[in-house]
Amino acid sequence: MGYVLLTVPLLAVVLFIVLKKKHLQHVISVAASVTMTIAAGFLTWAVLKGGFIEYSAWGGFFRVDALSVIVIDIVVIISLMTSIFSVGYLENEIKHEKLTTDRMRIYYVLMHAFIFTMLLALTVKNIGIMWVAIEATTLASAFLVGFYNGKEAIEAAWKYIMICSVGIAIALLGIIFLQFSSLAVLDSSQFLDWTAMIDHATELQGPTLRLAFIFILVGFGTKAGLAPMHTWLPDAHSQAPSPISTLMSGVLLNGSMYGIIRIVAIVNRSFGNSMFVGRILIAVGILSVVTAAVFIFSQKDYKRLLAYSSIEHMGIIAIAIGFFTPVSLFGGLLHMINHSFTKSMLFLSTGNILQKYNTREISKISGLFKMLPVTGVVFLLGLFAIGGTPPFSVFASEIVVISAIFQEKNFLVGGLLILLLAIIFTGIVVTLFKLFYGTDIPKETPPGELNIPGVIVIVLLLGIITVMGLYIPNELRILIDQAVEIVIGG
Amino acid sequence: MTNYLDALSVLLLVSAFILMGNKRIGSYIKTFQFQSALVALLTGIIGISSFAQDGRIDVLIICAVVIGIKVLFIPYLLKKTYAKVAYRVEKDFFLNIPILVLICCLMVVFSYFSFAETMGINTGTINNQIVNSFSVILIGLLFMISRKKAIGQIVGFLVIENGIFVTALFATHGMPFIVDMGILMDILVAVIIMGIMVFRIDEKFGSINVDNIKDLRG
Repeated sequence: MGYVLLTVPLLAVVLFIVLKKKHLQHVISVAASVTMTIAAGFLTWAVLKGGFIEYSAWGGFFRVDALSVIVIDIVVIISLMTSIFSVGYLENEIKHEKLTTDRMRIYYVLMHAFIFTMLLALTVKNIGIMWVAIEATTLASAFLVGFYNGKEAIEAAWKYIMICSVGIAIALLGIIFLQFSSLAVLDSSQFLDWTAMIDHATELQGPTLRLAFIFILVGFGTKAGLAPMHTWLPDAHSQAPSPISTLMSGVLLNGSMYGIIRIVAIVNRSFGNSMFVGRILIAVGILSVVTAAVFIFSQKDYKRLLAYSSIEHMGIIAIAIGFFTPVSLFGGLLHMINHSFTKSMLFLSTGNILQKYNTREISKISGLFKMLPVTGVVFLLGLFAIGGTPPFSVFASEIVVISAIFQEKNFLVGGLLILLLAIIFTGIVVTLFKLFYGTDIPKETPPGELNIPGVIVIVLLLGIITVMGLYIPNELRILIDQAVEIVIGG
Repeated sequence: MTNYLDALSVLLLVSAFILMGNKRIGSYIKTFQFQSALVALLTGIIGISSFAQDGRIDVLIICAVVIGIKVLFIPYLLKKTYAKVAYRVEKDFFLNIPILVLICCLMVVFSYFSFAETMGINTGTINNQIVNSFSVILIGLLFMISRKKAIGQIVGFLVIENGIFVTALFATHGMPFIVDMGILMDILVAVIIMGIMVFRIDEKFGSINVDNIKDLRG
C-alpha cells in the first residue's frame, strides 16, 4: 500500500499530460486523491497494529511509523479536500476567463507533483532524500505561487524560491555535519539513515551535532515559516490561488516541521536532555508568535492575515516540541493536526470570498453574510476556531500545550504565550469582523454561493474541527502516543 | 593527496573572491564556470582515489554529472537568459567592491575561528579545507545580498551550493550516491525555474533589478 501512495500522484501527473479533456482532468484529480486517502487509511491501520512499516526494496528506502503516518494523513486528507474544492474553483476561474484550459492542466500537474514530493519526504528513511524531497516541494510549488502572473504574484514567487532555496541549502549543510558527526559510528550503508542514527545516538559527536542542529533548524525552519525566516510566507500565501495557499499552510509547513522533529529526536537522544534544543526552539517559537501578534493588527489583506496566523501556530508547535515532555509533544502533534484542518477550511473559504468580491482588501468587502451565506458563517466560526475559542479543536490542543508548559513550572513562557494568544485573537476580531456585516454590497453580483462542491468541503471541515474539539477518537490518541514515544524514546 | 585537496580548496576560495570583485554579469557567469570546473576536478580526484582504494565508481559518476550540469549546462543557460534580458550596464552593487572584498576577508577569519572553537571537526589541527569551503558559502551569501540584478542572485545561490557540495566532499568524502544525485537534480531544476522567472520579472517590471521588486511588505 505504501507504494500505491507514491505512485498514484505520479501516475496522475502523467495522465494530466496525456489526457487533455477538461472534465477528465477533474475526474483524475479527485480520483487520485481518493485513492491516496484509501491507501493512507490502510497504512495507518497497519501502523496502529504493527508500529511501523518498512519495505526491504532499495535498502529499506521506504519506512513509515506513527509520526510520519500522522503527517501523511494530514497531507492526503487536505489534498482530497483541496482537489474537490479545486473543481468548482477552477470552473469559476475559467468562466470568468481568468484561466484557460491549458493553464488548468499546468495547475493540476504541479499540484499533484507537489503532493508527490511531500509524500516522498514523509515516507523515506534517509534524511538526505528527505532533504531532496523537501527542496523539490519548493520547486513544484514555485510556479503555483506565481500562477496568476501579476506583478505581485511574480514578486511573491521570486521571493519564495530564492529564500526557500537558500534556506534549505543551509539545512543541507546541517545534514552534512549530521553525517560528519556519525562518521566514526556508522558504516557507509547506514549514512543519514535516521533509524540507525537514533540507535547510535549516544555515540555521535556532540559538538558537531549542535552545529548540525542549528543549521538544520534555520533551513527547515525557513520552510516551516518560523520567524525570523518567515518573510516569504505572507507573500506566497496571499498571492497563490486559494487552494494552493491551503496546501502550503496545511501541508508544506507541517512537512518541514516533521523534518525538524526527526532531527530533534536524534539530538535530544544524543544529549540525554532537551536543554540545548529546547531553549533555541522555545525562543524561535515565541519570536514567531510575537511576530504574528505584531503584524496581524496592521493587515489590510485577509489572506495575508491568515498567513501570519499560520506563523503563530507554527511557533506554538515549535514551543511544544522545545519543552519535549510527553504532554507537550502530544499537544504539539495534536495542534499540528488541528491547525491544518482549521487553516485549510479558512483558506478554502477565502477562495470563495475572493471569487465573489474579486479583491483581497478587507476594507472593500462588507455584507459577507448576505452575499455568501454558508461561506460567511463558516469563515466566521473558523476565525473563532483559529483564535482558540471553545468548542473548536485548536482550543483543545492549545490548552494541552499551555498546561504542559505550566506543568514544567515555566510560568514566564506560559504566561507570555497566553497573553500573546489573547492579543492575536483581538487582532483577528478587530481586523476581520468588518467583513461580515454592512449593507454596502456590490450591486452587479447577485448574492449566492458560486462553488457548491467547495461549500460542501468547508462545511465538512467545520464538522471535523468541531467534533475534534470535543472528542479525540481513541485510534488517533493511540497513534499520537506512539509518535510521542518514537520522538522521546522508550 | 591531502596537498592537492588543500590547494584546490584555496583555489576555490580565490575564485569566490574573484567573483566578488566582478562587475558585469557576463564575468559572474564565467567565474562561476571556473569555480564549477574546480569543483569537478576535486570530485574527480576524490573519485579516482576512492576507485583506486575500494573500486567504487559512484564518485566518478557524480564528477561526470557535475561537469555536465554545473560546468556546461547551467552557465550556458545563464548566458542565454542574460542575452535575452540585458539591455543596459549600470552599477550593480550596494557597497563598493573594495569594502565587499574586505568583508569577505573578515568572513574567512570568522569561519577560521568558529571552526577552531568547534571540537570534533578539528582533531588537533584545524581543518583548513572545511574553513575554506565554509568561507565560500559565506561569500556566496554576501554576494547574493550585495548584487541588485536577479541573475546575480542566482549566481550567488549557485556559489552557496558549490560551497556546500565541496564541504560535503571534504567533511565526509561524499554523501550517499542517491542523495548526491538528488541534490544535483534539484539544483538543475531550481536554476531552470529561476531562469524562467527572470524572464517573467523582466516582462512585468521592465528590468531585472530586484530593487524594483518591493510591493509586498508588512
